Amino acid sequence: MIQTKYLIIGGGVAGTTAAETIRAQDKQSGIHVVSDEPYRFYSRIMLSKPSFFLEKIPWDSVFLKTESWARENNIEYTLGQPVVALDTTNKTATLQDGQQISYEKLLLALGTNVRRWDVPGADKKGVMHLRTLNDAKQVIAAVKTAKQAIVIGGGFIGFEMCDMLKLAGVDTTLIIREKYFWDPLLDEPSGRMIEAALKKAGVKIIYQTLVQEVMGQAAVAGVKLQDGKTLPADMIIVGIGTYCPLEWVTKAGIACNRGILANEYLETSAPDVWTAGDAAEYKDLILNENIQLGNWVNAHVHGRVAGLNMMGHRQPYRQVSFYTAQGLGITIAFTGDVRTTADRQIIYRGSPEANAYTRIIVQDGEIEGATMINRTTDLAPLTKIIEQDIKIEPYRQQLRDPACDLRAVIKQQA
Amino acid sequence: MAEEKKSGGAGSRPAGKIKKIVVNRDLCIGAASCVVNAPGVFELDGENKAVIMQKGGAKNSGPTERPNFEDGTIDDEALLMAAQSCPTKAIFVYDEDDRQVYP
Repeated sequence: MIQTKYLIIGGGVAGTTAAETIRAQDKQSGIHVVSDEPYRFYSRIMLSKPSFFLEKIPWDSVFLKTESWARENNIEYTLGQPVVALDTTNKTATLQDGQQISYEKLLLALGTNVRRWDVPGADKKGVMHLRTLNDAKQVIAAVKTAKQAIVIGGGFIGFEMCDMLKLAGVDTTLIIREKYFWDPLLDEPSGRMIEAALKKAGVKIIYQTLVQEVMGQAAVAGVKLQDGKTLPADMIIVGIGTYCPLEWVTKAGIACNRGILANEYLETSAPDVWTAGDAAEYKDLILNENIQLGNWVNAHVHGRVAGLNMMGHRQPYRQVSFYTAQGLGITIAFTGDVRTTADRQIIYRGSPEANAYTRIIVQDGEIEGATMINRTTDLAPLTKIIEQDIKIEPYRQQLRDPACDLRAVIKQQA
Repeated sequence: MAEEKKSGGAGSRPAGKIKKIVVNRDLCIGAASCVVNAPGVFELDGENKAVIMQKGGAKNSGPTERPNFEDGTIDDEALLMAAQSCPTKAIFVYDEDDRQVYP
């Protein structure tokens, strides 16, 4: 049996940052990272970016640490091995090959898996999901010869894949289940702005439709839609969401919901077990509820906080979550909690007509969240206002005025 | 292991004090991890690219030398952390001898 002090399951940004954080303060103790992927730490966020797919930047730049980094920092790695069982009483994890690792402190930075498309024929060659570097390799190869592509799902992956495919000169059709892009996270005007950018680039959009089956022999030839219509295609990229693979985690008795439940210190229900990154469903101190929000920045800061707390610090995670994307001449940003429940009002800043449109979501006199299309400059100040729980009543006019620099609000407050 | 060695950097040479940073706008994707790690130094501009906030209110992607930062208090560790957190290695950090410290 391998013995280590700090066992980190997951080699993505959360796990790697935790290892790095621990090593910066503790030069001696054993740190062991287990990853189910065969690669050292790489930039998963790059996997959906057109510049990477179209090989405009060198392949190697996807790796964020040098090959010698782990050795130089005395961090042990076991790659290509999923964990299959965990015993939190005897503090032992079992890997697929039967190897066991005992730990003193454990971090579960498992990330998420992509939701598989389960329509008949989805196992044909040419149907692709996007999670790992190996998935990306498949897409890169396919784009080189593809003539007609179909993208399934109206979210970040769908948007970025459409951008990439059009840049590659591939005929592209996007099929979404909803009435407009990103319904219901965005309002209809915001969704239509994104659709306008997609259509301007030449993407065809089919709304409120499900695919009934994937046609073709061994390889994709097209899809048959619900209404019986058919559409030819030689590649299909599916981006319909993610889930946490939690079987062995729940079996180990650790409390889970959609993700692994944790408090604001990222501690799970089991002693000496923390969680970080996309898999963590943690207590958000600003929203005062449990949330799970997968993105690079959260995972990075989680990794740092979890690493510190595993060493005995007591640092809460307190940060407003946000997300950005851009492509096709449009920028999209979300910050905070953007749900528009009945008890919330919306302040509009800019307009769809001006092609720069922010929605500020307010509850009980404070900003809860915001969505921004072509107004990324609002992101930092609005995030700060949310974080500082600023009462916005005196500033409504400034918030409504798209020309007003919102940093003034923060300064007046300070 | 040398104390001053910075992980993930260009090999094993020790880094001097940080003098200058540049954001490569072609690489930047607006993930904003730099904004979170060094909020007094970086923000996103209208194109969703990271810019460096400078004394006198100017904002651009640099190169910007340290005395010109609006935030005069940020330390080297926080700056380097901001650069290292970038998922596209778009932030270039140079020391006093103009040697590239990261990436």
